[in-house]
Amino acid sequence: MSAASVSLAGIVKRHGAVTALAGIDLEVAPGEFFSLLGPSGSGKTTTLRILAGLERADGGTVRMNGKDITSLDPGERDVAMVFQSYALYPHMTVRENIAFPLRMIGVSKEKISQSVKEAAARVRIEHLLERKPGQLSGGQQQRCALARAIVRKPALFLLDEPLSNLDAKLRVETRVELKRLQRALNVTAVYVTHDQEEALSLSDRLAVFMEGRIVQVGTPEEVFSRPATVEVAGFLGNPPMNLLPARLENGRATVEGVAIQVDALKALGSRDVTLGIRPSAVRLAAAGVPATVTMCEALGEDFFADLTVGDRLVRAKLNGQGRPAEGMRVHIELQTENVHVFDSTTGRRL
Amino acid sequence: MIRRATLLVLSLLIVLVWVFPVAWGLLTSFKTERDVLAYPPQVVFEPTLVNYQDVFVGGASIVPNLVSSLVVSGFTTALTMLFAIPAAYALARLDLPWKRAGGFWVLATQMLPPVGLVIPYFLLLRQVGWTDTYQGLVLVYLTFALPFAIWLLVSYFEEIPREMEEAALLDRAGRLRTLWHVILPQAKGGIAVTIIFVFLNSWNEFLFAVVLGGNTVRPVTVAMFNFISLEQTQWGRLAAAAMVGMAPVIILGLLAQKHIVKGLTVGAVKGGGRR
Repeated sequence: MSAASVSLAGIVKRHGAVTALAGIDLEVAPGEFFSLLGPSGSGKTTTLRILAGLERADGGTVRMNGKDITSLDPGERDVAMVFQSYALYPHMTVRENIAFPLRMIGVSKEKISQSVKEAAARVRIEHLLERKPGQLSGGQQQRCALARAIVRKPALFLLDEPLSNLDAKLRVETRVELKRLQRALNVTAVYVTHDQEEALSLSDRLAVFMEGRIVQVGTPEEVFSRPATVEVAGFLGNPPMNLLPARLENGRATVEGVAIQVDALKALGSRDVTLGIRPSAVRLAAAGVPATVTMCEALGEDFFADLTVGDRLVRAKLNGQGRPAEGMRVHIELQTENVHVFDSTTGRRL
Repeated sequence: MIRRATLLVLSLLIVLVWVFPVAWGLLTSFKTERDVLAYPPQVVFEPTLVNYQDVFVGGASIVPNLVSSLVVSGFTTALTMLFAIPAAYALARLDLPWKRAGGFWVLATQMLPPVGLVIPYFLLLRQVGWTDTYQGLVLVYLTFALPFAIWLLVSYFEEIPREMEEAALLDRAGRLRTLWHVILPQAKGGIAVTIIFVFLNSWNEFLFAVVLGGNTVRPVTVAMFNFISLEQTQWGRLAAAAMVGMAPVIILGLLAQKHIVKGLTVGAVKGGGRR
C-alpha cells in the first residue's frame, strides 16, 4: 500500500441553477490525514464524492499521484470509501462483506481468506465474521465498514462523516483508533466532517468549506488560532468566537460607542472592522467595553457567562476569575494578542 | 377487549364469506351427481373420489390442460421477470429524462379494460398466424404482466439505499455485478412476490385464453368450462377440476404468505419492507 497524493484543480459542480462547488483547489500530500470541514451544504461531501468518482465535476481536474483521473469510474480509481450509513451489504455476513472488494477483482480464495482475517484483526472484529450486519451494534458495523475499505489496500481512503452515527463516548474512542489505523496503514485519508472537534483533533491539515468554496487551508492550530475570515472565526470553536462590529481610527477601536486604544491596530488605518474574541480570551477588568451579565452557568471549574454589549451577545468562558452575578455591570478588557480583526466589507483577516 | 372481540368476529365473518365457495366446491367435488343435486343440500354424505378419477385419468382428463397452463404461466413469468427486473431497476435508479412519463405510461396500461382488447389482439394474432399457439398467448399475457411487474418491482428497488450501490461501484463491481450481487439479493422478497403475482395472474386468466387459445393451447381455466354444456352441467367434475386447478394457487399463496404481506406493506414504515 503506497499512499497517494491528491490534487483538485478548479473543481466546479452545479446542480441545475445552484452552484454546489465554485472552483475548488486542493493539494493533499501522501500519507496525510486531511479533513474537509464545513457546515452542511458547504460542498464538502460533494467534493469527496467527486474524488471518489461517484459524481462528475462540471469543470476542473482531479489528479492522483499526478495522473488525471477526472473521467475515471469509481472502480477504476484506487480509492475506498466509508459511508456515513456504512452501506454494508445486509444479506452478506461480515466475512462476505469484507471479502467483496477482493472477490470483485478476482483474488484467489486463499488470499481472500488471509486478507479478510488481517483486515478484521486490524479493527478487532475477528470474532464477528459469521454475523450479518443487522446483528452488529453501530460501532461494530462501523468497524466492518472500515475493514471492507482497508482490505483492498487502497492508495486513498475516503471517509464521509463515519463517526456521526455513533454515540458520543464511542465517537471519541473510534476517532483515536481511526487516526492510529491511518498511521499504521500509511494511507492518505480524506475525511469529511461538520464536527470541528473531530477535524481539529484528527487532521494533519484541514480545509474549511463555506458555500461551495474553500476559505482556509492549514493545520488545525493555524486555522484555529488565525482564522482567515469572519465566517471561519464564527464557525470554529465551541462556543465560537464572539464577533463585534467596530470602527477603527488611528489605533482607536470604537466598540458600541466606547473607544479603546489598541496600539497594534494603528497600522490598519481607518475603516469598519469586525473584532473577534474567543470566549476563553474574554477578560473582565475595571476598564474596557461595558457589558451586562445576563446569565452565568457553571461547568466544572469554568463559568460560561452570557454578556450583553449594547444589543450584542458575547459569550465568555471565565476561568479563575470568580463567578459574576447575573445582572452585574462589568467591563471587557480587549487584549491585543487575543483580538482578531476582520475587514467588515470583505470579511478577511487584517 | 371489546374492540378485540369485535375485530375477531368481523374477521371471522369475512373469512367465512371468502371460504364458503371454496368449501362448497370442495364438498361438491367429493359428491356423486345425485348428491350434488339433492335438495335440501346435504352436508353429510358418502364421499367419492370418482370425480377426481375422471378429471385425472378419465376421458375428461384435464392433465393436458394443466400442462398447458403450466407452460403458458411458466413462460410468461420467466419472460416477464427477465425484462421487468432490468427495466424496474433502470426506472428506480437511473436519471432518465422521460422517467416520470414512462412510469406513468407503464401504470396507465393497467387501466385499460381487458375486454376491449380481446378483439384487437385476436385480429393481430390471426394476422401473424399465432392464434392457438403458446407464443401467441404468452405474448399477450406479457403485455399485462410486464407493466404490472415493473411497477411493483420499482418500489422494491427504490427501497434499497443508493449508498449500497455506490459502495459496490467503489468495490469495482460495475453496474451488472452490482445488480446481481447487491441489489437482487436484497430485493429477493419483492422479486418472489412479483413472480407469484405474475404466475397466478396468468394461471387464473380466462378471457384471453378462451378467445386466443384453441384445441392446442387450452389452459385449465378454459378446460373447466367444458363441464358446462347445454344439456347438463357436470357439477361434480367441474368442482374437482376447480380444486385441482386451484391447488397451485393455494400452495404458492401459503408458501409466500410472509413475503406477500411484507410486499403489500412496502414503504408503509421506513425500512419496513426490507429485512
